[in-house]
Amino acid sequence: MKKRLLAVLMVVLAVALVFTGCGTPAANSSESAEASAPAAEESSEASTADSPEPAGDAAEDGEFTALVLPKMIGIPIFDAFEAGAVKAMEDYGINVIYTGPTTADAVEQVKILEDYLNKGIDCVVVAPNDPAAFTPVLKKAKEQGVTVVDWDSYAEEGIADLSCRQLNDEEFGKAIWDGLAEAMGEEGEYAIITGGLSAENLNTWIAAGTTYAEEKYPNLKLVTDPVPCDEKQQQAYTKAQELIQAYPDLKGIVGISTPAPIGAAQAVQEKGLQDKIAVVGTVCPNDAKPFLEDGSLDSGYLYDPTGFMNATVYLAWQKALGKEITDQMEIPNTGEKVTVEGSDVTYAPPLKFTKDNVNDYNF
Amino acid sequence: MERVRNLFKKKEAGIITIFIIVMIIITIGNNAFLSPANIMNILTTNIVMGIAALGMLLVIITGGIDVSIGWVITIVTVVIGEFSTKVGGNLFILILVACATGAAFGLANGILVAHLKLPAIVATLGTMSIINGLVLLVTNGKYIRELPDYISGLGQQYLFKVEMAEGGFYGFPVIWLFWIGAIVLTWFVLRHTLVGRGIYAVGGNVESAERVGYRPKRVLTFAYVYTGIMAGLAAVVHTGIVRIVDPLAFKGFEMQVIAAVVVGGANVLGGYGTVLGTTIGVIFMGVINNGMVLMHIPTFYQKIAVGLIILIAVSIDVVQQTMKERRMVKVDIKD
Repeated sequence: MKKRLLAVLMVVLAVALVFTGCGTPAANSSESAEASAPAAEESSEASTADSPEPAGDAAEDGEFTALVLPKMIGIPIFDAFEAGAVKAMEDYGINVIYTGPTTADAVEQVKILEDYLNKGIDCVVVAPNDPAAFTPVLKKAKEQGVTVVDWDSYAEEGIADLSCRQLNDEEFGKAIWDGLAEAMGEEGEYAIITGGLSAENLNTWIAAGTTYAEEKYPNLKLVTDPVPCDEKQQQAYTKAQELIQAYPDLKGIVGISTPAPIGAAQAVQEKGLQDKIAVVGTVCPNDAKPFLEDGSLDSGYLYDPTGFMNATVYLAWQKALGKEITDQMEIPNTGEKVTVEGSDVTYAPPLKFTKDNVNDYNF
Repeated sequence: MERVRNLFKKKEAGIITIFIIVMIIITIGNNAFLSPANIMNILTTNIVMGIAALGMLLVIITGGIDVSIGWVITIVTVVIGEFSTKVGGNLFILILVACATGAAFGLANGILVAHLKLPAIVATLGTMSIINGLVLLVTNGKYIRELPDYISGLGQQYLFKVEMAEGGFYGFPVIWLFWIGAIVLTWFVLRHTLVGRGIYAVGGNVESAERVGYRPKRVLTFAYVYTGIMAGLAAVVHTGIVRIVDPLAFKGFEMQVIAAVVVGGANVLGGYGTVLGTTIGVIFMGVINNGMVLMHIPTFYQKIAVGLIILIAVSIDVVQQTMKERRMVKVDIKD
């Protein structure tokens, strides 16, 4: 009987784990996150050429050290950010460490920041996975005289010295839905595949886009709540196939999060429905090329991650040096101008990729 | 013997009944469920799970568990990604490389569990962590793209294909053969080989198995190596479908595989499990996930519903067994 009880318990546990496992990307077994932490640091050491080890000394030597902490490392868009961080290091002759957790896990991310605070840094440029979880450690950083800059997602109000936005969320949402309307012919049913239901920036873009579409394109009909793909291309592919089955009149799919439109386009391409179903969304141009070329993906949208990260590191550096960040300030080397509103800095309008211009980009 | 066989039949019958009920409900909700295109979707998107579950089945019958399976598949995808882009080769060589890599990691698990006598969950948690680190070291967390045609085109090859008037098509994808092959092989191994019978014997009771003449260490090691081989095969099929290598594609996969095997009637304490049950378990889970979308159920409710259905499916099985045990006790007393 005891054995039986154990069996039932194990089954319940297995089932429970399935759900936490396939839920939001943030919900992961702490075991795997634990295991991946050293690897994450190691890989970043390998990739930023400049070893983080002399960071502490560097700070004492007067060399400026910035830590760039993305939500996670490993998916292509974050590689493009990394390229920008490395470029900033070369361009401005400062020390930049780019590292992050291998899963979008706030606890892991906080731990990395604490490690580097002990080693000694001048500035942290962070994309918090969970703003609340970051408040204590960011306060501690500020007490140590470290300049705090957030990007991608906001830290809690009043914490960051500077907030760098890769784009205006409203504008970005509008641009994607404009592209959808253009590809669908301004009417018909569409569905949304999102990276994760709890990702704040993705939700903001979706909210901006859908609200805008309700007014401007009243004949576009959203058939169901956004469907999550857990940031996995295979999952997006499966969900797109199911949506196509479930809604036979479906004319469009919006993919928010870089693997989503690719998975959707793959499903459309394999079913030969390029002319029937429009796919648009956030993509990295390198991934999107083959799908844009065969017409299964109609248009892709993104900010310029490399340029943005270069600019963010530059601005963080200037801010830490005590210089003022002013509206229409120019970023050296890229020549792009930034828009400043309070402590918010926005960089450049969104990029739109179509089959005609996608070959001009490489990230 | 006849009676035992009937009982075994009953065990799968519970799952099959619920499976049929769920399918009827989904079909009423949306008759597109039974369309050839949708059935094709369900089967194709669950092949990787189906093949991996067959490996997991053997380990679970021995009374063990292999939580490293997701990362073993991942490292095999990385190996074949690197191999096919840097060395070249052809599909046949690639399958051999994949199965050999998987088998090597399976062997490591097998040695830890069978020879060092570590608890299976601890041993495989350890290897899972090591493989996780290795994958990130090799890939730096980055995708491997631009794989050669022989592997990236695998998912688009069909034995036959029927175009539909309203656009789209259905057919028989070549990758189904991998699943069918794995099913037949696993069934044969479990049913008709000495080591296969040994897996049931060891899972039922190690001491009795040893007395009868099985060598539990070899049998256990075989089960883990076989799981590794299945992981290798699953990795080839996955790469053929997705056409890139994503180092994080199988995060959390192990629990889904274990759930499918358990839903398919295998006993997590060892000694019982069938290829038929496991395959139905995998398709059942696939059908539920697919059906939720087809029935237009909002995303948040889907997870709750999936959990409830799994719990119902498994508890029917457990209740059935408890009742069976009670009956057995009565017989004992009377005798």
